[in-house]
Amino acid sequence: MTTLRIPARSRLGGLARSTPAYITVALVALVVIFSLISPEWRFLDATNLQAIGRNSAGLVLLAVGLTFVLGAGHIDLSVGATLVLSSVVAGTVAVRLAGEPSASGTFPNAGLAIVIAALAAVVVGGVAGLINGVLVTRLKVNSFVVTLGTMGVATGAAQVLTNGANVAGIPPAVQTSFGLNTVAGIPLPLVLAVVVSLLAGVVLTQTSAGRHALAIGSSADGAMRAGVNVQRSTIVVFVIAGLMAGLAGFLDISRFGTTAISGHSTTMLQALSAVIIGGTSLFGGRASVPGSVIATFIPTVLLAGFVMVGVSSFYQNIAIGVVLIIAVWLDQMRGK
Amino acid sequence: MTDRRTPALRASGLAKSFGHVQALRQGELTVHAGEVVALVGDNGAGKSTLISCVSGALLPDAGEVSVDGRPMPLGSIRAAMEHGIATVYQGLAMAPDLSVAENLFLSCELRRPGLLGRLGLLDKKAMRERAWQLMDGLGITTLQDVTLPVGDLSGGQRQVVAVARAVSRAGRLVIMDEPTAALGARQSQMVIETIKATRDRGLGVVLISHDLPRVLEVADRIVIMRLGRVVADLAASGLKIGQIVALMLGERDNDREEGLPA
Ligand SMILES: Nc1ncnc2c1ncn2[C@@H]1O[C@H](COP(=O)(O)OP(=O)(O)OP(=O)(O)O)[C@@H](O)[C@H]1O
Ligand SMILES: [Mg+2]
Repeated sequence: MTTLRIPARSRLGGLARSTPAYITVALVALVVIFSLISPEWRFLDATNLQAIGRNSAGLVLLAVGLTFVLGAGHIDLSVGATLVLSSVVAGTVAVRLAGEPSASGTFPNAGLAIVIAALAAVVVGGVAGLINGVLVTRLKVNSFVVTLGTMGVATGAAQVLTNGANVAGIPPAVQTSFGLNTVAGIPLPLVLAVVVSLLAGVVLTQTSAGRHALAIGSSADGAMRAGVNVQRSTIVVFVIAGLMAGLAGFLDISRFGTTAISGHSTTMLQALSAVIIGGTSLFGGRASVPGSVIATFIPTVLLAGFVMVGVSSFYQNIAIGVVLIIAVWLDQMRGK
Repeated sequence: MTDRRTPALRASGLAKSFGHVQALRQGELTVHAGEVVALVGDNGAGKSTLISCVSGALLPDAGEVSVDGRPMPLGSIRAAMEHGIATVYQGLAMAPDLSVAENLFLSCELRRPGLLGRLGLLDKKAMRERAWQLMDGLGITTLQDVTLPVGDLSGGQRQVVAVARAVSRAGRLVIMDEPTAALGARQSQMVIETIKATRDRGLGVVLISHDLPRVLEVADRIVIMRLGRVVADLAASGLKIGQIVALMLGERDNDREEGLPA
């Protein structure tokens, strides 16, 4: 066998493929640092770690959805707004279906109401994604502009539906039986998010749908001429992002017991940062679901750590901003 | 010399304009099974435009295409692929971030056997092995790994991948738009041998090339284009390069009247 002569670009490409490895190292380093400087190792307390897990679950889903969109060479700025709209619809559905609470505060139809609310959230998200995908492919308008527009529409629709007030009166069972519940000490929402991420990882790397998404992100023209149905593949990635945002919307009400209409101004940016930090190219063609999932914990660990060691949480945004710019810079160095 | 069999491909009356540029005015192309037809013409004569109308990459303004006598829907690459047409484009049409194997099977991926395959899971190993065979068949010895991104290959290697992809997918007709432009002498000869093998399998081949000696070596017929029109369709045997060049350039005075495109 002749020795392998690896071109320079591929060596950097190999680095891209091992991104999950060095993101994991960075994350472990953050955890170690915060553990060392937190009083009495309190950072490693089960309650603190569980809180980080719960706070990350929705972000993990958004990041996984965005991984497909970025891999396909597009962007979706509307996922945070879709999350809010889905949570509002899900909350409203839950309130309507749960019935009048008894004197002890239990709702007669709480279980059914919660299941249907979850489905409603996912459907709203999927429809929002479908609209994005159809607009991008049919109007041939840049996805940045389309999703900037639908971000506004979804935010406005959520406010119109609720008159701007958060949905109250959702059966607390959504929190006690799911949102704040754990299995083997792991928060249920995080378990759900990880299972969905594993499935998404299989779709990205082991199916035609994932491969076609990366092909159109690498070269839409090349993919089309190779016989890829570019329009359908594009719509699929936006629908995936929408479904993830919808499910994240349901996780939101399961965590708070109510909606958080104004609590998501930086959510999309955090998810987007995680995706890019995790090794998915902003220019399409390369994407990593594990990278996105692991990188999602960087902002949530930073926030929890800052709070614990008494640094203002405002520094979290600064830190993420800096890391994002570095990640995009590294991405550009990798070629294109 | 007329051939009364139903041709594998018949394209007639194809026309295509880009704004004011009439890239293709009169595109006529007939290819029989087991026949190599060379399409020649000066730069900008409309060769790529003509074959793009046949391959579905462009929707012509007028004209029709039929495969084995059945009319084919125009402007759809998938429809053309389903009719057995595979194409090597001048721009090659690869996804640079995807590997050689992934590009070779793009949109025609192999699935795993059994339930996993029905769930949509890909058979990556089979595709890699098949990719090796295809590249081997084209005598590519400089490529070490079919899992390398195509963007990391040399221009010539990329061209060979494109050729391998087209000949492995085509059921009726392979179209190659300058498949040897970036290739060295040995590699060009391999592509010519591949064209002959494809012809011997009973497929039609359309070859666009500026390398007239090589064209004459492999082609059964020569179709000559000038200013968006097919101006000659001749049996290759006995044809001289000088005659082809004269027709390509339109050196008879009365053809000059057609003028140059705007
Ligand atoms: N997408 C396009 N937009 C505008 N004009 C085009 C386009 N494609 C081709 N043309 C024009 O159409 C004419 C024919 O181009 P075409 O690519 O078919 O020529 P060709 O015979 O393949 O030339 P070459 O041998 O250089 O590849 C040229 O004048 C070219 O400028
Ligand atoms: Mg050309």
